[in-house]
Amino acid sequence: MAQQLETDVVVVAAGLSGLAAANAAAEGGARVIALEKASNTGGAANMGMGPCAAGSPVQKAAMIEVTPGELFRRHMFYTHYQVDPRLVRAYYFKSGSTIEWLQEMGVVFNSVRPAFRARERTRAYADGEYTWHVVQPEDGSEPGPRAASTMVKRMTEHAVELGVEFLYETPGTSLITDESGAVVGVRATNKAGEEVEISAKSVIVATGGFGANAAMIQEKIGLEWGKNLYSFAVPGMDGDGFNMCHEVGGGHTPVTMEMMYQLPDNMNHFYVEGAFRQPCYWCDRSGERFMPEDDIFNTTFVGNAINHLPGKVAFSIFDAKMLRHWKKDGPDIVSHVHPHDLYEGFEAQFEVDLDTYLDGEGNHVVAKADTLEELAEKIGIDPEGLVSNVEEYNQMCAGGFDTLFEKDHEFLQPLEDGPFYACRQYMGAYGTLGGVLINSRMEVMTDEGTVIDGLYCVGTDACTIYGDSYNYAIPGNTMGFCLNSGRIAGEEASAKAFESASGADDWDDGDWD
Amino acid sequence: MKLTINGKEVEAREGTSVLDAALDAGIFIPHLCSHPDLPVSGGCSLCMVEVDGERKPVHACQTIVREGMVVSSEAPAADKARRLAMELILATHPADCTGCPRFGVCELQSMYTYMGVSPARWRCKSRPVPTDASNPLVTHMFTRCIRCGRCVRACRDLRGVGILDYQRTKDGIRIGVNGGVSLEEAGCRFCGACVEVCPTGSIVDALTITHPERSREDNAVPCRTGCPARIDIPRYLHHIKLGEWEKATAVVREKVPFPEVLGSICTHDCQGECKRNELHGALSICRLKRAAAVRDTGAWKSRVRHEPLTGKRVAVVGAGPAGLTAALYLAEKGHRVTLFDAEERLGGQMRYGIPAYRLPDEVLDGEIATIFEVTQGSDPEPRIETRLGHRVLDPGALLADGHDAVLVTVGTFDGTVLPMAGNDLDGVVRNTDFLKAARKGEAVDVSGRVVVLGGGNVAYDCARTALRMGAASVDVACLEAVDKMTSTAEEREEAAEEGVALHDAYAFISINESEPGSGRVGSLTIHKIRRFYFDEDHKAVTELMDGGEETLPADHVIFAVGQRPEDTAGMGLELTHGAYVAVDGSHRTSAEGVFAAGDDVTGTRSVIAAIAGGRGAASAIDTYLGGDGDISEVLLEPEPREARIGRAERAFYDGTTLPELMSAEERKGSFVPYECPFSPDEATHEAARCLQCDLRLDITRPRLWNEY
Repeated sequence: MAQQLETDVVVVAAGLSGLAAANAAAEGGARVIALEKASNTGGAANMGMGPCAAGSPVQKAAMIEVTPGELFRRHMFYTHYQVDPRLVRAYYFKSGSTIEWLQEMGVVFNSVRPAFRARERTRAYADGEYTWHVVQPEDGSEPGPRAASTMVKRMTEHAVELGVEFLYETPGTSLITDESGAVVGVRATNKAGEEVEISAKSVIVATGGFGANAAMIQEKIGLEWGKNLYSFAVPGMDGDGFNMCHEVGGGHTPVTMEMMYQLPDNMNHFYVEGAFRQPCYWCDRSGERFMPEDDIFNTTFVGNAINHLPGKVAFSIFDAKMLRHWKKDGPDIVSHVHPHDLYEGFEAQFEVDLDTYLDGEGNHVVAKADTLEELAEKIGIDPEGLVSNVEEYNQMCAGGFDTLFEKDHEFLQPLEDGPFYACRQYMGAYGTLGGVLINSRMEVMTDEGTVIDGLYCVGTDACTIYGDSYNYAIPGNTMGFCLNSGRIAGEEASAKAFESASGADDWDDGDWD
Repeated sequence: MKLTINGKEVEAREGTSVLDAALDAGIFIPHLCSHPDLPVSGGCSLCMVEVDGERKPVHACQTIVREGMVVSSEAPAADKARRLAMELILATHPADCTGCPRFGVCELQSMYTYMGVSPARWRCKSRPVPTDASNPLVTHMFTRCIRCGRCVRACRDLRGVGILDYQRTKDGIRIGVNGGVSLEEAGCRFCGACVEVCPTGSIVDALTITHPERSREDNAVPCRTGCPARIDIPRYLHHIKLGEWEKATAVVREKVPFPEVLGSICTHDCQGECKRNELHGALSICRLKRAAAVRDTGAWKSRVRHEPLTGKRVAVVGAGPAGLTAALYLAEKGHRVTLFDAEERLGGQMRYGIPAYRLPDEVLDGEIATIFEVTQGSDPEPRIETRLGHRVLDPGALLADGHDAVLVTVGTFDGTVLPMAGNDLDGVVRNTDFLKAARKGEAVDVSGRVVVLGGGNVAYDCARTALRMGAASVDVACLEAVDKMTSTAEEREEAAEEGVALHDAYAFISINESEPGSGRVGSLTIHKIRRFYFDEDHKAVTELMDGGEETLPADHVIFAVGQRPEDTAGMGLELTHGAYVAVDGSHRTSAEGVFAAGDDVTGTRSVIAAIAGGRGAASAIDTYLGGDGDISEVLLEPEPREARIGRAERAFYDGTTLPELMSAEERKGSFVPYECPFSPDEATHEAARCLQCDLRLDITRPRLWNEY
């Protein structure tokens, strides 16, 4: 017999959106149970640095004028109105106060930043807004990757103080509905593998997409993980929420992945990955260049570009002279993710990788050769095509102007000094986005637009606001949407718990927002 | 004694470390190298505390409590030392955790979340070490290693194996196998203790044996997970290793009433799950169960559940494995049971579907008699009554006839005949009729040439039975290619030795008359298949090979292409997929008070699945009748096991022990069981190959900060 529990609100998964939902619902007075598959809270947010917001106290204190309305318009222009304006509005207009809410929980923000400054010629399209609220690590040091884990801790502690009951290693498995189709609870499997049934007035699904489920990625997105896609696969992101919402009639939205580029098993090849992410010579498998390499720092652009190349693969090539330059002067593009001693550690790892580093299709990921023909043979580029394209490129370098793409002059270095180094470049992504249709109150709707009573979906399971590409111009968006969608759903669910308790009328669809 | 930690007075036993005293009192102090089951090492330096009277912060794990001691883990000096230690750990740990299989359950991740330390203050120097996936079952990803040494201590101190240690390499100190040899060469037990204690994702279970959808426990002990009745396999194998047959049988009997039957004929999904499939072959779990059962003395009988009579009575319709199992547990819970069966003898498919050379009547009769014996106990009359030769067509009517609940377990006795030309000729017979007749000793004519249609174990039961009843030749033809057939490989091999010919990947075209108008089978036409698959609508599609038609001479054709429930259509119950009874998660059918379980619900599966269904149904019916639904039994008190298992001897890596068989020549003419139970030596040797995967579940899991 399944164990039976009863509460007001169940939050399925305690990542960032689930934590926001649990806190908001508990603050509203609801009794909350939060299910979590892992033994830690925070999910993927433990890797991040901070959320996006507009009009926050942090921005105001730094005299940065970023209003929700302005960001709303920029976002909608970026996505060409392909996404739900009410949902986008609900998010940005909530975001400033959410920062204040987090500060009250004890989260300290170090600063608000853009992700990067674009070069002059692309500034109008690719520049970042000052929206990234980077969390201050507790020890007062400069924030780096994982800085947001401090925010996770504060939110977890706050939730516990409010009486939220966390059930660890207890994944939600399916939703329970009544005769009318309304959601009235959740089934879960506890640590011992036994079934638990929790009845509740509302369920908030926040399981984080299906980035770790290769079969679903292939089915829903058409990419093959481990062959032409090497995206993050955070364990547990198996599509549980996506599936359970659809099982009870939840509507569908397109699912996307925010493309970037990455090497297979990159943590074990981090020096190689960082060393090749430079504005050298980038081409497709016929040897042709496909973008001005000064844009290589924009991982969204490169990921999207690789998606449209034959075989969904690109190649990054440099020569001995460029390597000498980077060793002496440091990399042209500095990434805060890759090791700081990039070119000190590069050669030792590269030499090992030459023989042993294979991708999921059995191709060598890196190659080295004294001539371009030989290099092309080894790495899988058409040798004739590479030689003739490089010849043309070298002439442009000699002439001082890239007549093909007008790449920045300072990076216009010829490929002429053997040995030559090459590395395949693959599509990567952070996870999946969207799939479950919601309205601006985060209520799940059927494909016909009817609200499923008692069911909310938040965070990346429901994040459909990007359209086709990660909005790097408004950085912090993934966490920002998680926090705000979770918070809104938590508030709605707790209000609803008391409405039904007091016997008030059904939810009034009137002038809300 | 009393001491003060972070301003709170706590009690601690003498000799306790400050760290344990704090943790026991609910005060969290960060720590990574410390583990409740392992000796102290002090390497990680995260547990630094300030002690009044000491000049410098000290390791809480290495400091023993003293009366009146005043300790602070929050003092600035302690905090500073701890942060420095964490920064040093993070400086060499990969900055990006997103590709790590331990994400979310990683203790290091939990610890840096708690401490809020940023890696950026330190100049990061990641030290990639190639992932070593060359060993079976265990993968080393030492790029993530923080050199806490827990694995070293677990291997050495907890298990007495001692093959892991710090190794000096040209790139610095790291963990490795002594001598740089493979785990097997080193004498590894593959017990998984190192995986269990690793606080990061450096030593992990190989991806090939990890199912993300399963719980930690289910992943750790896959054999038990694979068993439909969840018999505690590692526990009974441990007793067999020690030659404790009756204890082993008691463990099996805690979940199933048919140890010897199962030991003879189980489909043993457990063996498919066994981790030793990756290491010289799975354990012979099924045959070990038989080895113990044949040597059982019944000492467990005194411990069975025997609750007072409830005054309720349950009708069980169908006395196969599901029905008999349910009857047993219902009777133990104090309900009287009336057991109906259409046949004259008990056992269902165990008797009428499984040939005697695999399961002789004596074995079945013995285990069924035990059910009646233990359920009656010291009662004056039996709790289970039988009504044999009584076909129940309306189970609902039994409710009006003095029963408080009814369980339908009628199985699948309606053999399928494919719609094809000639299927009504003389000499065409169904699997169910054929096997039942053979088992009843009825005269069945199979003289001449026999062709069996079908590729499952039942097809082979028919083929080998036909051979034993005097067929001159037996052929098996089936739709599936040999690698897709559902029969077990051993079944096919043994049958081939006995002379059964296989024609795999053939479509059945027609059964032909011996001569026009004879009305008798003369031959069978089949056609080789190029490709067979299910399309997107789950419809079977067969593509035939040009010129692949063949005609096999045949005097008898046996259909063994599936079987369905008989009688269910008229029972007034909601059905699904044709003749199967629709039930909910608690075995309830559409009719109030009527439950169903076994093959008539699930489709033809296995004896063990039917037993598991019978258990579930008994529990559900007990609940329905006002009981607590608890049918669990402790027939043997759990005994502490030696956790220090020591380094493996070479024999530990031997391949699977196989039971001795009679020669094919000898066995094909007889219904005598042809397989010998393991000798005691064979059994103890084979059971000693078990990796004892469950031992790792005894290792304490450190509580994370969010559990304080």
